[in-house]
Amino acid sequence: MGVLRGAFGRRRSQPVLPQDPVVAELVDALAPDRVRMDSAERALFAHDASVFTGGVSGPVCFVTSAAEVQAVMRIAIRHDRAIVPRGAGTGLAGGAIPLGAPIVVSTIKMNRVLEVDTVDRVAWVEPGVVNLDLTRYLRPLGYHFAPDPSSQQACTIGGNVANNSGGPHCLAYGVTSNHVVAIDVVLPSGELVTLGGVDAEPDGYDLRGAFVGGEGTLGIATRIGVRITPNPPVVRTMLVSFDSAEVAASMVGDVIAAGIVPAAMEMMDREITRAVENFVHAGYPLDAGAVLLVEVDGQDEGTRLDMERITEIAHADGARSCRLAADEEERALLWKGRKGAFGAVAQIAPAYYLHDTVVPRAALADVLRAVYEIGARHDLPVVNVFHAGDGNLHPLLLFDPREPGIMERVHEAGKDIVEVSLAAGGTLSGEHGIGVEKRDYMSMMFSDVDLEHQNRLRRAFDPACRANPGKVLPASHSCADIQALRQVPTGVWA
Amino acid sequence: MTLGIDPDELAACVQCGLCLTHCPTFRVTGDESQSPRGRIALMRAVDNDGAPLTPEIVEALDGCVVCRGCETACPSGVHYGHLIERTREALADAHRTTPWWERAGLEALAHPRLLRAGSAVLAGAQRFGLVPRRLGLPRIPLRSAPLQASGDDVYLFTGCVMDAWQRDVHRHGQAVLEAAGAGVTPTGDRVPCCGALHSHAGLGDRARALARRAIAELPGDRPILVDSAGCGAALKDYGHLLGTPEARAFSARVFDITEWVAGRMDRLVGSLPDAQPKPLDLRVAVQDPCHLRHVQRAHLPVRQVLAPFVRELVELDDDGLCCGAGGAYFVVQPELARRIRERKIGYIERAKADVVASANPGCGMHLGAGGVPTVHPMTLVARALGRA
Amino acid sequence: MSGPPAAPAALAALAAEVGAEGPVAAEGRRTRWDVGGALADGTRLVRAPSGILEHKPEEMTVRVLAGTPVDELHAELGARGQRTGLPRRGGTVGGALAVGESDVAVLGRGRVRDTLLQVRYVAADGAVVQGGGPTVKNVTGFDLPRLIVGSLGTLGILGEVILRTNPIPASSRWVTSASVDPFAVLDLVRGASCVLWDGTRTLVELEGHGADVDANLRALERVGEWGEASGPPPLPPHRWSMPPAGLRTLDREALGDWVASIGVGTVWASRPQPPAEVPAPLAALAQRVKDGFDPTGRLAPGRSVWRRAA
Repeated sequence: MGVLRGAFGRRRSQPVLPQDPVVAELVDALAPDRVRMDSAERALFAHDASVFTGGVSGPVCFVTSAAEVQAVMRIAIRHDRAIVPRGAGTGLAGGAIPLGAPIVVSTIKMNRVLEVDTVDRVAWVEPGVVNLDLTRYLRPLGYHFAPDPSSQQACTIGGNVANNSGGPHCLAYGVTSNHVVAIDVVLPSGELVTLGGVDAEPDGYDLRGAFVGGEGTLGIATRIGVRITPNPPVVRTMLVSFDSAEVAASMVGDVIAAGIVPAAMEMMDREITRAVENFVHAGYPLDAGAVLLVEVDGQDEGTRLDMERITEIAHADGARSCRLAADEEERALLWKGRKGAFGAVAQIAPAYYLHDTVVPRAALADVLRAVYEIGARHDLPVVNVFHAGDGNLHPLLLFDPREPGIMERVHEAGKDIVEVSLAAGGTLSGEHGIGVEKRDYMSMMFSDVDLEHQNRLRRAFDPACRANPGKVLPASHSCADIQALRQVPTGVWA
Repeated sequence: MTLGIDPDELAACVQCGLCLTHCPTFRVTGDESQSPRGRIALMRAVDNDGAPLTPEIVEALDGCVVCRGCETACPSGVHYGHLIERTREALADAHRTTPWWERAGLEALAHPRLLRAGSAVLAGAQRFGLVPRRLGLPRIPLRSAPLQASGDDVYLFTGCVMDAWQRDVHRHGQAVLEAAGAGVTPTGDRVPCCGALHSHAGLGDRARALARRAIAELPGDRPILVDSAGCGAALKDYGHLLGTPEARAFSARVFDITEWVAGRMDRLVGSLPDAQPKPLDLRVAVQDPCHLRHVQRAHLPVRQVLAPFVRELVELDDDGLCCGAGGAYFVVQPELARRIRERKIGYIERAKADVVASANPGCGMHLGAGGVPTVHPMTLVARALGRA
Repeated sequence: MSGPPAAPAALAALAAEVGAEGPVAAEGRRTRWDVGGALADGTRLVRAPSGILEHKPEEMTVRVLAGTPVDELHAELGARGQRTGLPRRGGTVGGALAVGESDVAVLGRGRVRDTLLQVRYVAADGAVVQGGGPTVKNVTGFDLPRLIVGSLGTLGILGEVILRTNPIPASSRWVTSASVDPFAVLDLVRGASCVLWDGTRTLVELEGHGADVDANLRALERVGEWGEASGPPPLPPHRWSMPPAGLRTLDREALGDWVASIGVGTVWASRPQPPAEVPAPLAALAQRVKDGFDPTGRLAPGRSVWRRAA
């Protein structure tokens, strides 16, 4: 992919040097071993999990407290530098890619679970706590943190807040915004504020809600109060197989229309099902046109009735078979197939581009068909494994990164997928966010006036456009005027 | 210079970052350059983009424990172990890493008499309090009776340091195998060392020479059982290391001792009066050596083997994160190794166990030096059988 | 390429009525008219259009005009087995969203702030602005819907919204007890939509499949005596906002008559909640938001979102 070529090449001409006074002040404010200026570290922090290159990192700071974040912010203000917050760097939309050699603020060392209150049902955590680590920490208490993005083993709660992350189980439980009650934020002014609160209906505007999903452009979260969810007493999981993805898609809408909101409904198409089965041997039918993994949770009797009803709907819709997991072991095996999907893709192609749009459930079948056509048109194999329950498509475009000009084709196909999704009444992103990936598509969904109002929210938090400039809003509406961004072209990808 | 890594293997990483939290050095530093994703990006920078091998890049590549916990976490199936071993070899060839004293120490491993002589000196020094405790060495026996062959059903691989320092673990393993009805041939000085540490240090030629010697010394089709996870992983990798059909056939005969015993539990338990094991009154935490869990992917049998012989088994809730021992890692990177161990000890304390069972001598020594009572699972089973 | 679906003509009419000059505010049914303080004299009142535009049960969404009475919306949705998180107290959809207070049974129905998926409002300059998206899941751009909920009409005048709907559980039952620790209820049962406590009585709404509701009631009966109840008791007028754990140490003197929502932290009391200081940087941030959306201060002048500010 030549991922580092851009960064290493550009590095020589970029403006920050170790003797830069910014670096000396950062070292004073933090500690010598928590400010990295060496080329290796900075080249690595120019990337996240996305395919986008063109990032250039300035000094990389590892902060350990809100006071340190404030100190870094004030140094940035004094020197008129931009800052980019970063968690684990597992984002897929390029939200953490530093544009214009900003100060990168890594919250990865702020990784303590500060307090768990089972009466308030709130856990206070630092932003660098890993999503799955929190759930693991809560397990002995009988609780979990509900948002479970596929990267949950590595991504941080701070990153979840920035991206308003989802996951398979947000169909019933909601996304991160539904599970954050309060956030301590260091504003781009350097001030520390608490947004929201543990109380039932905090006073004032819902700035907590506005901050979640801000992709690091509104400030840096330094302490987060998240809701903790009691573990369900009963979980039932069923694998339903179909002749075609279209039939599977129609079953999804029928289940919801019947008044059942499963904990998760995950779909895999023919190609991915076959690849998964050959890879993890979960007992998926090799000849199915598509499979749905349906999970309900709750109480014993209700979940049993729900599963019976879902089975009836499946058969009425023409499902070929329904396999209800008999025990925890079989349940784990069925999920192993779903969770091993990306690994299975690695067995059939050297690389993939994972897309993310949402469409109405009723349009799933049509949009899926269009997605396959788009793949064929651009000569890119497409496989689909996605959160069908809430219409959240994740087409994977398969390619070999060493093929010249391939990324242009991949991005063209991606744009086409966005267009068919919006035409069907959907949205640009269900859980990955906008970042640099979809920034320039925003006007496909919003008018200039709409975007101008989003920018008003942005500027209320960050009048100088200091925090993560060049993200979310297209250039004509965002902080494109910041000094740093003029020095380095933004949104360049290889 | 380049590292000469297979470009296909290098291209397999898609930078998703799911490996990060499974990497012990990333966990304690938070530095992207101390993560598998970061190290692979640096390898690419050197090999694909001609980036110079700066001291920071060498430090990043050198900081890896080679626990290979990232491999089990990787959804794209990247062979990180191959990448890092190739890298280490290139760096060592270019004399960018692996200092003379480390090379000299590793050389001694292949010479059993030298190793034993050195160990005896060390043991004496320990008795006079001349060896700092922080080095984490176990109490080395002054003398230890040699192991005796009891039959020719299986080989018990005895190796280098472990044979010199912890021969009792071999003795216990042999006793358990015999209780399960097997005649055992300890390999002793015939196969002085598996070469794992040489591989990790980038001394590929030495490692391959040791592999060829082991294959020549242990012909036939008898199973080769190993009670050190690191050695077992190395022996199982000879097929890849040498790339010959003979080496692949050899590797197919290698099993961790717990894998083999787990398949004969009926005979082991059946050998007891009334087929009733008398469990030790202990709550035992299972610590999975990385080279058993992530490399051999054979960490489950130890639970099956231990369960009947102890009061209670408890898991560590850390997804099998490395303890920081890493072969000779805790000698060459003491500071990182200590921080990784502290993290591990936190999880061990949460498990509230009487003792930790670890199927790798290096882990046992490293944890022991951190104040954690650690024993080999074979020692526990032998004790429960009344044979230790 | 598709743009955003066009706003209906009724919305254009509202925008024209709001115009670009002079103090203006939306009037619903005045069920919570005093929240945030009285409007400045001379404020012109407008009414949002009414009507349910599209209910899609299989999408769990409904598109509705802001002037629609909540009762009317719920009647329509109920006929197809669904409901929303908007409070049942007789007001309009727009009013409920602008005030932002959740239903008494919030544990079962969800919070108002989680209910609004997409909003079209008339901005201070008379333009129609859209925020959010039409699907249940969406993270496209900044979250204007969250900002609008509870903003008391100070940032824009609500015209049309898309709300998340939820299925109505098969069975619902209110029970009451005078002998049970109200704080134990949520640990005993899953599926309590509401747990109220007035200092002597505990009232619980159990919802779900009939069999689950029965099982939950049996679980409750293991710790005390329970009788049927017809619904929530009358709720005193003032609404206190507290942390759920704070309900254990209520200052009963300060409250007067009260009913507390266990696990939520809302307390309805006959006396108002004492005012609290708003930290200066937070107040300044909120003011920058207000100034950005309403530079001339013409939207709902006199009303403050700091309802409990000192």
